[in-house]
Amino acid sequence: MNEQTSRAELIAALAENCAPVRRVRSWEGTALIIAATGAAAMGASAVYGFWHGMFAGEASAFFWITNALLALLGGASTAALVAGALPQVGPRTAAPVWTLALLGVLPAGALIALVLQPEVHLHEGLADANALHCLSSALAAALVVAIAAVLFLRRAAPVALERQAWLTGLAAGAFGTLAFDLTCPLDGMAHLGLWHVLPVPLAALAARVIVPPLIRW
Amino acid sequence: MLADEATFARLMAAMQQGDRAAANVLLTEAGLWLERYFRRRVPPGQVDDLVQEVLIALHAKRASWDPARPFLPWLAAIARYRWVDHLRRVYREAGEALEEDAGAQDSGEDGVLARLSLDRLFARLPSGQAQAIELVKIEGLSIEEASLRSGQSESLVKVNIHRGLKKLAALVEKAEPT
Repeated sequence: MNEQTSRAELIAALAENCAPVRRVRSWEGTALIIAATGAAAMGASAVYGFWHGMFAGEASAFFWITNALLALLGGASTAALVAGALPQVGPRTAAPVWTLALLGVLPAGALIALVLQPEVHLHEGLADANALHCLSSALAAALVVAIAAVLFLRRAAPVALERQAWLTGLAAGAFGTLAFDLTCPLDGMAHLGLWHVLPVPLAALAARVIVPPLIRW
Repeated sequence: MLADEATFARLMAAMQQGDRAAANVLLTEAGLWLERYFRRRVPPGQVDDLVQEVLIALHAKRASWDPARPFLPWLAAIARYRWVDHLRRVYREAGEALEEDAGAQDSGEDGVLARLSLDRLFARLPSGQAQAIELVKIEGLSIEEASLRSGQSESLVKVNIHRGLKKLAALVEKAEPT
């Protein structure tokens, strides 16, 4: 069979099987990720209890700064993720990279503060009693967000799989941690700067490995 | 004559609504456009396979085109995605017939253009990596023969091919479609 015949037959078969489709819209991806973040926040609050102290003026400035930066990173990553979910050409935003760099200031500041505080042993500051609880809970919440992002990407048509995987991890890590943060009353710089930031790179690395095969098409 | 952007967009909008006649015309015209796109990127023997792969992808992912955006950049992005995938697949399969061999057999203008396209990419690789790929993947030498010809150890030839192909795929992926 020559090439032209083969292609003509393929086209005929594809055209024959051409049912109407519902378009994939970028806002659907944003809505799905935000809804997943809300669900993760409600789940975390149901399990651990919502921290009402934050609205009673008990939260430190670090608490608000950390969560504002997590929200920024999650928003920037989500915007980049949904924009890259549909095939297109043109420059790509670097906003997630810059917001991640901004978030990186927190652990750097926490480490410097710990090192320069002579009365606190470094290992005590690095690993407080709640560290693993916060880390694992934030990652569990991130998983909920990541599942939503992957479901959207599978319906869409991403053409840069590795980038989309990184963005999935960053968005999930940032929003997942943000969702969990509503339940955590520990608002010291060392705790927040380390254990409420670490889930972000961990989620990003995990997503970089796990997500590409899931969204390949 | 190839369809223009407006025609493609109109046909694609109709295809999303389930219009089979429009789908037939669109896929035929897209096939011609893709043929030109790939003619400068892969050896002639592989053009039709890639065109058909992209047509299937176009059909499968037709819901991902936004009528508010131009059609051809959308198609070009899918074509590039399939091209990178194709390059990775070809290079991954050890012992497979070399893609440039087909171009050499035809030795026509398209083959020369595909070769020039590769040369431009090769120019951005370190010389050791480019030489190892050239000898093994294009000239078809064994690792041992390439080692003797290049003066690189056999291990280095393998490493250079692996790293060079990875970089090549990354370069292609970053390149803007034209």
